Amino acid sequence: MVLTELAVKKMMRLGATQAEAYLRKTRVTRVNFAEKIENFKTAETTGITLRAALGKKVAMYSTSILDESEVGEAATKVVKIAKATPEDPNWKHINQKFGSAPAEGYFDMAIKNLETQQIVEQLNSATARMKNFDKRVKPALSALAASASNTVIENSYDEHCEREETAILVFLTAKAEENAITCNAREFQAVKFWKQIDFERLAETAAEKAIRFLRAKPLPSRKTSVVIKNQAFANMLGLMLGDPVNAESVQSGRSPLIGKLGTKIASGKVTVVDDGLMRFGWNTRPFDDEGHAAQKTMVVEEGVLRNYLYDAYTSLKDNVKSTGNCYRRDYWSRPQPSPSNFILQAGEAAHEELIRDVQDGIYVEETIGDWLSDPVSGNLNATIAQGYLIENGELTQPIKGMVLSANFHELIRNQIELMGNDLDNNMQYYSPSVRIKEFTVAGQS
Amino acid sequence: MNNDEEPDLNEILGKALKLGADYADARFQSYDYELITIENKQLKSYASRRLGGIGIRAITKGAVGYASTSNLSSTSLEKTLNTALKIAKSIKTKEPIFKPPRPNKANTKLQIKIDPANVSPEEKVAVALDANKAAWISEEIKNAITLLGIAKDRRAFMSTEDARVDFETSLVGLAHVSVARVGDVMENVMYWQNSCSGFEFINSIDTNTFTPDISNLAIHVAQSKTCPPGTYPVVLEPEAVGVILHEAFGHASEADFIVTNSSVLTEKLGTEVASEAVTLIDEGVIEGGYYYPYDDEGTKKERTVVVEKGILKNYLHDIHSAQQLNAEPTGNGRAQDFENTPIVRQTNFYMQPGDFTVEELIEDIDFGIYVGEKGLKGGEVDPGNGTFTFGVGPSRAIRNGELAETFRGVVISGSILDTLKTVDAVGKDLRVSTMVFGGCGKSGQSVFVGDGGPHVRIRKMIVGGR
Repeated sequence: MVLTELAVKKMMRLGATQAEAYLRKTRVTRVNFAEKIENFKTAETTGITLRAALGKKVAMYSTSILDESEVGEAATKVVKIAKATPEDPNWKHINQKFGSAPAEGYFDMAIKNLETQQIVEQLNSATARMKNFDKRVKPALSALAASASNTVIENSYDEHCEREETAILVFLTAKAEENAITCNAREFQAVKFWKQIDFERLAETAAEKAIRFLRAKPLPSRKTSVVIKNQAFANMLGLMLGDPVNAESVQSGRSPLIGKLGTKIASGKVTVVDDGLMRFGWNTRPFDDEGHAAQKTMVVEEGVLRNYLYDAYTSLKDNVKSTGNCYRRDYWSRPQPSPSNFILQAGEAAHEELIRDVQDGIYVEETIGDWLSDPVSGNLNATIAQGYLIENGELTQPIKGMVLSANFHELIRNQIELMGNDLDNNMQYYSPSVRIKEFTVAGQS
Repeated sequence: MNNDEEPDLNEILGKALKLGADYADARFQSYDYELITIENKQLKSYASRRLGGIGIRAITKGAVGYASTSNLSSTSLEKTLNTALKIAKSIKTKEPIFKPPRPNKANTKLQIKIDPANVSPEEKVAVALDANKAAWISEEIKNAITLLGIAKDRRAFMSTEDARVDFETSLVGLAHVSVARVGDVMENVMYWQNSCSGFEFINSIDTNTFTPDISNLAIHVAQSKTCPPGTYPVVLEPEAVGVILHEAFGHASEADFIVTNSSVLTEKLGTEVASEAVTLIDEGVIEGGYYYPYDDEGTKKERTVVVEKGILKNYLHDIHSAQQLNAEPTGNGRAQDFENTPIVRQTNFYMQPGDFTVEELIEDIDFGIYVGEKGLKGGEVDPGNGTFTFGVGPSRAIRNGELAETFRGVVISGSILDTLKTVDAVGKDLRVSTMVFGGCGKSGQSVFVGDGGPHVRIRKMIVGGR
């Protein structure tokens, strides 16, 4: 008997009224490298999570050890814990009917079959490219992480599904040094297929950027228009809007978008879709982590809030259909709603146009610490790791170490001036570059 | 097979040598984690997890290969060894073989009174539920989440050099976040209490005051203004000092960043990197911190002086970085779990106390910010360029030497090489703390750390606000 089936049967035999087993096996290859390979590991991460309900008493238990006796013991433990927990009055049931949608571009055989030698050669050639680009440049700490995983979900409604998926993330960092001044710059790509990684472009762009930012420094504080590059704004969008539209945040009282369905929450320029079926999307897959079919959901349509994102529990609580947004970050993570591919629709402006008519402003290429922002209050804060002063429509002085602050909800309502046509992603968040009318930027006084 | 029992690692290490490894080590781990989440007076989830397995590192001609498995059968271990060897052989390097200079033998266990494994699920849920219920002090509270976390980690390390180190530790904590709404403003404050202890620590927390205090603060902050952006003198509470040291200095002192051209502290040993008031220590076992007597390469984690009176004295090392920089390993080779290779990580990073009282730190500041530790959000650093940032909770203005109004949403930023040079006074208190609800992330690995210090005054920091 397969382990998922064994676990579900045993939980039911021990008195569970509903039972679910979620099994994931992931082969992860991770390489840290700079001028040479620093460490190279390949790990088989395996684990199973059991969820048992006894009436309205629910518990979860996970183990990384996939043999029959351990999984049998896990089934005993989860039922025992469920018996001891208080009832959840909102609990209805696990997903009773699995679905699947025609998703494309989420599994790459080349990643599944990646050989050590192939990775080593590719990385050596990328770092050589970086060194050859300019003699001031050396490779600095960089990383490649590739994963291929197999997921099986099974439950006591005799439902069963299985999928294979892959992902690869590559960061290349270059260090430039001139007259005892140094600067590190990085470029990254987060994609689903090995062939999508453009190692040469990443190497050369990082090298070029490191040289350009050698003279970067903080400037005095100011209020000014700011152009934020696609990958950087994608991250802010995910942080500040991804959680508030999550049905769990809404139902539990911690979303600022409670009761705002059908109302205007952003300017007419803003349309956000959650597209679980986007071809080659970072979180594209045929069904979610509870077996609901993935789908495309309109979240914000020309500024109007249209939908929240649901998993099984939250959709049953609101009496709506699940939007197929259940995610488990790790196999042992609690299932909860999360964006799939969360896309701010691009505009028409070419990248140069965003900058061309700015007399005095700041261009933000990369930020750190965005995650310190608070989606509940809308306080957005990010420290500029790399940016430029914009003077008379041109990028001039490189800057770093200044802090961007705004209220994100106010920003998407009144401050978005122009949207670029250059959609790019930071993991599951997609955005074009955008121009913001006014941002507070703290710097040296 | 019972996975609490480790298999015979000597046998697999013997095989490693036969198959051409110059050195090999094996790490066994058995880890249990429990997380109880209460939201709005109801149990949201009760999740338990077990992680167990073996990681094998093999070195041939200076190249390192690593592989791991949670299947402890002898065929699986052999397959894992072969994968590690295959990786090592695919990587060509001119580096010498690295080995631990002194193979240790030790067996150490954190002493606890009440083993959390012996506390019933009902009792654990009851503690967290009581704490959550107490947080609902008024209409303004719109959401409240309480977390109870328990981690137990047992690790064993063995090598072909005959090292054998076993240790076991337990970390428990209670965390709470209250969301308050006043008018149109929603704010949340999170705080926690953690300790390397048994369940007796959880029992010692007064849940009748712990969560109501957090709720009161959340309501207060929702009524507060944001801070005017600029560069100001700041006085920080100990946990805020810990975060800033960990981010702003600790990471840059990790020697793997030095050897990979990724730290602004490269070639700075023996030079002035902070003011004379600053002495920074990384130590494996300290009151309040994370209990970490040996690292994942079997090196004892003793007291490492990183900065002494402003002068950079040592980097933090694992065996590999120590060999590359001709230094001694400092016991900082740490791995998240058996699936990961050890890399250089901090353990408990803190500043030594000085002579000032808190009042003395504040009294000569005309306008500045008093950075509170409740509601701290953590930080991030770009060690290659020296920019760091961290988010703090509710903070107070300092006006004419006295604490004044509260500010919300404060974010602080600075430069590694400049910030600690403007520390001009250090308090005489010292508090180090750790946390079970998340660790420090680096290169895709998260480990438990501790950090802290006394109250500290920094003359110049960039403060973001609106």
